[in-house]
Amino acid sequence: MSENIISLKNVVKKFPVGDGFFTALKGIDLEFEKGEFAGLIGPSGSGKTTLLNIMGSLDAPTEGQALVMGKDIATLSHKQSALLRNMHIGFVFQVYNLLPVYTVFENVEFSLLLQNHTAAERKKMVMDALEWVGIENQADKKPAKLSGGEGQRVAIARAMVKRPEIVLADEPTANLDAKNAHAILKTMKQLNKELGTTFVFSTHDEKVMGYLDRIISLEDGKVVKDEVVEAQYTV
Amino acid sequence: MKLAFQLAYRNLMGAGLRTWLNVGVLSFAYVLIILLNGILDGWNEQARTDTIAWEFGQGQLRYDEYDPYDPFTILDGHAVLPAEKRDGLTPVLLRQGTIYPEGRMLSTLIKGIDANQTIITIPTAKLKESDAALPVVIGKRMAESANLKEGDEVLMRWRDKHGTYDAAKVTVAAVFDGNVSTVDNGQMWMDIEKLREITQLEQSATYYIASTDVPVKAEGWTYFSQDELLQDLTDMIEMKKYSSSIMYGMLLLIALLAIFDTQVLSIFRRQREIGTYISLGMTRWKVVTLFTFEGTMYSILATIVGSIYGIPLFIYLANTGMGMPELSQDMGVAIAERIYPVYSVGLIFSTVLLVVVSATIVSFLPARKIAKMNPVDALKGKMQ
Repeated sequence: MSENIISLKNVVKKFPVGDGFFTALKGIDLEFEKGEFAGLIGPSGSGKTTLLNIMGSLDAPTEGQALVMGKDIATLSHKQSALLRNMHIGFVFQVYNLLPVYTVFENVEFSLLLQNHTAAERKKMVMDALEWVGIENQADKKPAKLSGGEGQRVAIARAMVKRPEIVLADEPTANLDAKNAHAILKTMKQLNKELGTTFVFSTHDEKVMGYLDRIISLEDGKVVKDEVVEAQYTV
Repeated sequence: MKLAFQLAYRNLMGAGLRTWLNVGVLSFAYVLIILLNGILDGWNEQARTDTIAWEFGQGQLRYDEYDPYDPFTILDGHAVLPAEKRDGLTPVLLRQGTIYPEGRMLSTLIKGIDANQTIITIPTAKLKESDAALPVVIGKRMAESANLKEGDEVLMRWRDKHGTYDAAKVTVAAVFDGNVSTVDNGQMWMDIEKLREITQLEQSATYYIASTDVPVKAEGWTYFSQDELLQDLTDMIEMKKYSSSIMYGMLLLIALLAIFDTQVLSIFRRQREIGTYISLGMTRWKVVTLFTFEGTMYSILATIVGSIYGIPLFIYLANTGMGMPELSQDMGVAIAERIYPVYSVGLIFSTVLLVVVSATIVSFLPARKIAKMNPVDALKGKMQ
């Protein structure tokens, strides 16, 4: 039997605007199983990133219930929420969000520092992660010295190093050229297959869609289509 | 905690020049605060030691009618202390007089003291060694103002106990070099027996200097301990410390403002980074702690940097001393020509603690804002 690791029930998200509210999500019902490679697609303002933020416990729904790893996001304290992110969720951002003063190694190591690993364990885990994304020889470089593709690989390694159950990627290829975008997506697909990590993307990039096994279309804060598809590209 | 320190250290090292500018300013504040306080402490210690050695001894028994701050009390401010009370005490009799060096007229305080005394450093033995009829010893300041030197004679006029004027030539038996201007400026020291003889004040004394700190009780006389006698000096140095602390405060304020400014700018500029920390699993308060420790780390690095150039400077000055301007010698308190700074453990620890705590507080104040940040807005860099 497949295992639901994300379950969204009638999720509504409202943001205060002036004297009123803007409703970004209007009753979203979705479930994600372990090992899925799914994408949220839709035009700007359709609610993709908001939904991703709720799934990543960076934000909470105004109404409804969002269960991630069995935990109700709305009821978690800051500390519990931080622990959930640290142990189970990896993030990949459009602009990589690498810490500029740290080396590649230190960037990837960061999540592990928040867990109680020994230095030797951390070193092995970081080098493994860098090897997965093919930049093990760049470990001592600072982010400023990396190309866009390399920067995003570091971000993926940082998201994957703690072997999370879920990786949430917000427009991960938006700043990359086609060649780098394909390379990144292949890497993520490979990790999805090998480690069984659930990947959820927010994107409107055609290239990303070609790798997805499930495409969820959002429009004006609602799910308009949710379909399992045959991935165009495989690894 | 350890992790926050590690990360703060990494962040600061990564920030490069900005970090070292703040550290430089803060370390300068450190070194200056310790140095100036060290000079005041050195001055205090030297002044106390010199004043005890040259003037106060272990204490003084003073006749009640005499007030050292009121020259009008000199005339009648003397009495005879019962003989049984005089053990371990050296008598000093004060009289007013006038000297006429090179035709000029100079008011002088004639101090009669037991020529055999060894309690204070005034070279009274020279009074015994001299063959002159009325030998006196004077300090270098008096010698300078009266243009007198060892062996010189000068006419001195005084009044005896009946108020009758008399005059005679006195001979400078020795010129002493001390740091205590209150035993020097406008004063001549002579054998008390001779002073009693020429003023007809047999057995009289204005005050007695004690060789041991054992309070003597006698009617009409009051004993002042060393601490009481040094109170004015202590008060003056304390006052000097307070006034100096305004300067330290301003200096420290500039350094702390630089840290505060850096932190405010940092929090505004590093919003994405803050959002990333939170997304990676740090709680907001851990991020607040991280940013606060970055401020604390400035003070720790400033301690290290300050030690690198401050310790050799402190050691050098403690050994060679700092020359004091000639004018300061006449300030009325004991100031040596060179002051040797004294750096107590308490001074160093309190300065380090003051700077570390202040830097931590000014870092915490802007960092508190992080606790209220929405991580999503922070990731987008949208906070205002």
